Amino acid sequence: MTQSAEPMPQSNGANSIFAAIGGNQVLLGALSIAVFIGVWQVVSMNVPPIILPSPANVFAAFAELTASGELIRATGQTIWPFAVGLVFAFIIGTTLGLLLGIFRPAARLLDPYIFVFWSIPNIAWLPLFIAWFGVGQLTLIVFVFVSAVFPQLLTVEAGAKEADSFLVEVARSLGGTKREILHIVVLPSALPYIFAGLRIAVGRALVGIIVGQLLIVATGIGYMFQFYGETLSLAKYFAPLIVIAALAVLLNRAVNWAEHVFIPWKPRAFI
Amino acid sequence: MPELEFVNVRKSYRGPTGENLLALDDFSLKVAGGRFVTVVGPSGCGKTTLLRMAGGLIPSETGKIRLDGAVLEGPSPKMSMVFQGIGLMPWKTIEGNVSLGIQLQAHRQKLTAEESHFVKATLELVGLKGFEHYYPHQLSGGMQQRVGLARALVRQPEILLMDEPFGALDAQTRTVLQDELLNLWGRVKSTVLFITHDLDEAIYLSDMVVIMRRRPGRIKQVLEVNLPQPRYSYDARAEKEFTRLRSIAWQSIKEEL
Repeated sequence: MTQSAEPMPQSNGANSIFAAIGGNQVLLGALSIAVFIGVWQVVSMNVPPIILPSPANVFAAFAELTASGELIRATGQTIWPFAVGLVFAFIIGTTLGLLLGIFRPAARLLDPYIFVFWSIPNIAWLPLFIAWFGVGQLTLIVFVFVSAVFPQLLTVEAGAKEADSFLVEVARSLGGTKREILHIVVLPSALPYIFAGLRIAVGRALVGIIVGQLLIVATGIGYMFQFYGETLSLAKYFAPLIVIAALAVLLNRAVNWAEHVFIPWKPRAFI
Repeated sequence: MPELEFVNVRKSYRGPTGENLLALDDFSLKVAGGRFVTVVGPSGCGKTTLLRMAGGLIPSETGKIRLDGAVLEGPSPKMSMVFQGIGLMPWKTIEGNVSLGIQLQAHRQKLTAEESHFVKATLELVGLKGFEHYYPHQLSGGMQQRVGLARALVRQPEILLMDEPFGALDAQTRTVLQDELLNLWGRVKSTVLFITHDLDEAIYLSDMVVIMRRRPGRIKQVLEVNLPQPRYSYDARAEKEFTRLRSIAWQSIKEEL
């Protein structure tokens, strides 16, 4: 919402500069990045490069790794098992979550198991998955899937249980059958939770892919962390870091956008 | 004309510590076809229970409720309910919410051209022309209750069951909507059973005011309101008869508070 009902105050000096910048999102973002890089530069000049490389060195390393194709190849190697695992986690987590949220007896039967599996730290599964699925892409995908499926499932299940009993009663008074009530009240109430779950699942899946590549397959972004970390090439170490950060931001934006498209009724709060 | 009849109805609830709470006991009332009947009483006297039973949402424990002579079992397409909490689906537009009144009755998604025309006409009737594509949260409380009213009317009900529909609205909006309800009632000629705790509202709107005792709810007194309809065509609240009835009702209800 870009409203400027009040005329810009014509005060002197810094105030009006801040007011002008504050109203411009792009300018504000650019300024924030500039300040960040400035601080980084100053700090890097005062510590050994082994602790923190300078921004210029990092950009040079980034350019070099991009030009050699290493960074792009690694990104590809990371993205596809990540995407496959996440998509399966989303589909299965959402479907199971809805079913468990709607059929209470099924939830009573399965919830304890889900809780136990969810409580086990993901990393503890890894040796078992390697034993079952070998050292390869399949293990990686399964690991990403397991990391992401539980937050998706549990969030959606909670959402499906959350349906307003008053709205259910209203639908019943209008003559709605169980099936119609599911369609008209329960599923739409669960929709925001599907996106809330996805937001968590994306984060978990990212952790999953990096940890998986770092520990098992020696490919992709995860392996770059390991390799450049161990060889203490810190400037190069920052390149995959930037890729992962960009990926996380991009995915979060995508979820926000999808939420906006699929939940047009959601009132937006501006603080 | 459709007629709603309560015969020796009784209903109790289980309290938090397992004790039996008798909400309504031996309640008998005949709402004759085409009449506007209001039930007033202190909170906790079983008014809402009464209406939920009439709407077929909860069963009575003993006794029965008859609609045109037939015993009521579950929600009936002949009746529409209007709630204080309104209960609009936040994910449906105003038009979508009103359409639900037909869709859930006919058990199909698609409205005929005639039906969608009727939905639009009903929205116009309650003064919401132009708001068809808004979402409920974009409307004021008074406008939302107009949608609730339209959703009820679009079913062309023989009986309207209204549970403190204007209770949550500010005084001005409430007065406006009371007049509009009388106007609509004059057109659709359905039977109305209206629950409120507001004596003025009860007397202003209805032909008959039923005063309840406090728990367990039973009928204490029935007042006939003989002021001519429509009451918005003159200053009904200033009539001697209005003040007389209000003072009788107040005396009666005061003993129950």
